[in-house]
Amino acid sequence: MLERSTIQSSGFSNLGPEGARTGFRLRLRQPNYRGMRLSLIEGVDVVVDGERFPAADNRILFQGRTFGRADLDDATETRWPVGETIDVLVDRPGGLVPGVHQVETIVWMRHPYFPPQFQPVPMRDAREATIVL
Amino acid sequence: MTFRYGISLYSYTDDFGTAMTLDDAFYHVAEAGAAGIEILGETHLAGYPEPPAAWFDRWFALVDRFGLQPTNYGCWVDSCVQKRRVLTAEEASAGLARDLQLAHRLGFRFVRPKFGVIDDELTPHPIWEAAVERVLDLAAKLDVVICPEIHAPTPIRHPVVEGYVDFIQRTGTRHFGLLIDTGIFQDRPLPYWPGETPEMRENAMGFLNGIKVPVEQLAEVIDHVVFIQAKFHHIDAQLHDHHIPWERIVPMLKKLDYTGWLSSEYEGVRDPWLAIEQVRRQHALIRNLERAYDAQTSSGEQAHA
Repeated sequence: MLERSTIQSSGFSNLGPEGARTGFRLRLRQPNYRGMRLSLIEGVDVVVDGERFPAADNRILFQGRTFGRADLDDATETRWPVGETIDVLVDRPGGLVPGVHQVETIVWMRHPYFPPQFQPVPMRDAREATIVL
Repeated sequence: MTFRYGISLYSYTDDFGTAMTLDDAFYHVAEAGAAGIEILGETHLAGYPEPPAAWFDRWFALVDRFGLQPTNYGCWVDSCVQKRRVLTAEEASAGLARDLQLAHRLGFRFVRPKFGVIDDELTPHPIWEAAVERVLDLAAKLDVVICPEIHAPTPIRHPVVEGYVDFIQRTGTRHFGLLIDTGIFQDRPLPYWPGETPEMRENAMGFLNGIKVPVEQLAEVIDHVVFIQAKFHHIDAQLHDHHIPWERIVPMLKKLDYTGWLSSEYEGVRDPWLAIEQVRRQHALIRNLERAYDAQTSSGEQAHA
């Protein structure tokens, strides 16, 4: 079973070899009450300790495939189910310092049954999460 | 005749997948004394839209073990499927056909499509009509009733409802009807949702203060109502609902001889396992009201005899 929050502590880790980190990975549970085609996701904004990593620069790793934000619109038959996670891959040379970080995310979603003026809908979460090494 | 009591697994949103398995959900529904279980295809089917054979086996085993009847199956017609284009009616009907087949295979008799909308009044995207018309024969063959929901901020007296009723009359179908979400009767304000501001509440989200549809208006559409989602948000320890006027809804449904499903949709605070208790309170509350109505009418009949 996953953690209750959208942002998962498990899965939050640096990318790249020790001493030459290239960035970090953030794991998110599906925040909506239903599974969704990836084409209904318009990217994920990430903020760590006040440093902003906008959706346009982040990639999503899901079921072994990596999607840039521009790739999501074509992923109409790739579905992110409830109870499953995606990994958001964020470039940051040097990675993050091991320890506790304040992490905020916005998953931008289109809900077709919401009035157009609300699209895309920001699904927000924030919590402390720990980089182990 | 009494109502048929069911529970939608939508009630357990956020528990499902973090603190509750499908097996757990069946247990809690059955323990609330419910006879029916409602699910959302894209939430509760593993590997949607193509669950593995083992998942179907598990589903049938659970239905048997807990003695629950599958009621309504929720699906979506994602009209704005891509940023750059809208779903075609052909694609929408193909998706609907797939969901009808899945629902039928799992034992459901009702399918609620949630159509994409084009305005603040939740007018469905115009592809809905052609998409549904193309699958009416299939629905008839499977004997499944397609029922879009009448959901706040859309009231009963509204062009959206008229459009659906016109469709029923034009096609003569018996496999399309209305699903009423009891949120349309909400007559007191909801607490602010996370992230909601007073400005939003005063403007676009004003319907969250309650659109207060008079329960008497149910009489105008009851002939087309095939399913009811018993939406609610908070019931206290005195079995007092803070937003939905069950003391008016229940007698009206009884008076109109509604004997279909009341399927609980808890939509309140999402603390772990809170929904389990809230749903039980709702069933206790509505069953009390139904018993009271039945006792009153049967003593009234005796007095007249």
